[in-house]
Amino acid sequence: MNMRRYGRVFREFFRACFVEEMEYRSEFFGNFAASFFGVGMALLTVHIFFYQTDDLGGWTYAEVLVLLGVFNTLRGFIDFALRPNMPRLLEHVRRGTLDYILTKPVDSMFYVSFRHLVFWRLIDVVLGFGVIGYGLYVGRYVPSAADVLMFFVVITASLLLIYSLWMMLMTTSFWVVRIDDLSFIFDSFFETARFPGSMYHGAVRMVITYILPAVLITNTPALALLGKWSILTALAALVVAFLFLWVARRFWRFALRFYTGAGG
Amino acid sequence: MIRKYIALLRMKYIEMLAYRLATFVWMTGAITQPLITMFVWMNIHPEESESFLFYFIAVIFVERMTSAWDVWELDREIREGTFSNLLLRPLHPIHWAIAENIVYKWLFLVILVPVWSAGAVFWPALRPHMTGSRIGWFLAAVVLGAALRFLLSYSCGLLAFWVTKVAAVYGVIDVISLFLSGRIAPLEMLPPQLREWSEWLPFRYMISFPIEIATGAANRGELVRGFAIAAGWLLVLSAVLQWLWRAGMKKNQAVGG
Repeated sequence: MNMRRYGRVFREFFRACFVEEMEYRSEFFGNFAASFFGVGMALLTVHIFFYQTDDLGGWTYAEVLVLLGVFNTLRGFIDFALRPNMPRLLEHVRRGTLDYILTKPVDSMFYVSFRHLVFWRLIDVVLGFGVIGYGLYVGRYVPSAADVLMFFVVITASLLLIYSLWMMLMTTSFWVVRIDDLSFIFDSFFETARFPGSMYHGAVRMVITYILPAVLITNTPALALLGKWSILTALAALVVAFLFLWVARRFWRFALRFYTGAGG
Repeated sequence: MIRKYIALLRMKYIEMLAYRLATFVWMTGAITQPLITMFVWMNIHPEESESFLFYFIAVIFVERMTSAWDVWELDREIREGTFSNLLLRPLHPIHWAIAENIVYKWLFLVILVPVWSAGAVFWPALRPHMTGSRIGWFLAAVVLGAALRFLLSYSCGLLAFWVTKVAAVYGVIDVISLFLSGRIAPLEMLPPQLREWSEWLPFRYMISFPIEIATGAANRGELVRGFAIAAGWLLVLSAVLQWLWRAGMKKNQAVGG
């Protein structure tokens, strides 16, 4: 695996999708408005909750806003790079066109997960950072350089985790070919990460903290930015992320063996 | 007409069976948002956990029973031109949609009622306290809510004759309805201005109103008033649908010819 080469391939994917997207320039404004509207409604939701209280699972209004910003940013990345590829893999498996991808001189897992990018979804990433900034402003909290550094470390771990979980779900399409789109299973799970993990109780909390680490994905970056980080948590996040990535990779390989078995 | 409907229902039933798995998965996808919202409210007012449990399980039930997907179907059919096939058949296309709604909602009912009953055995908070006539009013309100949502969704779908992005338009309406129909919060938890809006707009009558009847939050006076407003919206939306239909047919022929 040669990083530079993959960087170049990714840039090519980006360029190809960008050109494709430019054909639909006129939709840009509508998409922009839709993203803005989405963020506005999410803010209104938080506002309605805090109309009745000033603490949600131990988090203040400003802190929940930072969390919402992180959530929106991460979802922007999902919609940008991962979501557009899910139905296409199902299509490839169903029609057998995956064979063409397997013969290409790039890693197949890399190819199926990043070939199609929806460029304008990056608006949500920008808006997410806007919400983070607003939350910090409301809470009158200025992060230190160390906080920001930690934030970038743990959010990288979050992105890896998201990618791995998404990839595992996507890989199941080798067996579940009857459904057009599995992404809403991920969405259902990811939706739990919108709020503080301390809000949940009992079994639900156990599952989304340890088994499917939704809480880890959004809460740790938000906490890092708010200065509530520890080296240990950051390390744990990275270890968990790489562990999930390894499992996802193994699962993909396993699925490919299954696929060739069925095809041949 | 009844015989035609029986035939339609049978066809839609067979269609549904072919997509069993998708239907099932689709259903489970609709329950997470209310459950998460329920957790939020249980955190804010822990002393009322039991009533929130009942409320949000009822939201899942009523939301499924009144859900409408016709806008996406129409959007696709009109854009791809397959809608013309339906037009050629000797029955108004809306009957196909109605039959489909009945079949799927029947399925939801058959799944959800036993699940709820089983839940009620373990959690006493889930047991409804309704007398005979309230049950009747509750069911009537659910049917009315389903009709309102269907009309709104179908009318939006017909806009596809003019604009290409009706799904996005409906998406905006749906998000607004999240707040005003009681899915984000029981309406009494909303700030007063939003609450007042919810009284007069149709969204409350799609989800919250039947639940208010079931929990006993709505007294006799509010019940009558609610049904009156909902019936008013039913008339308005039916008129809008008919008007859009006629205008759409002209437009459609103009493009075709």
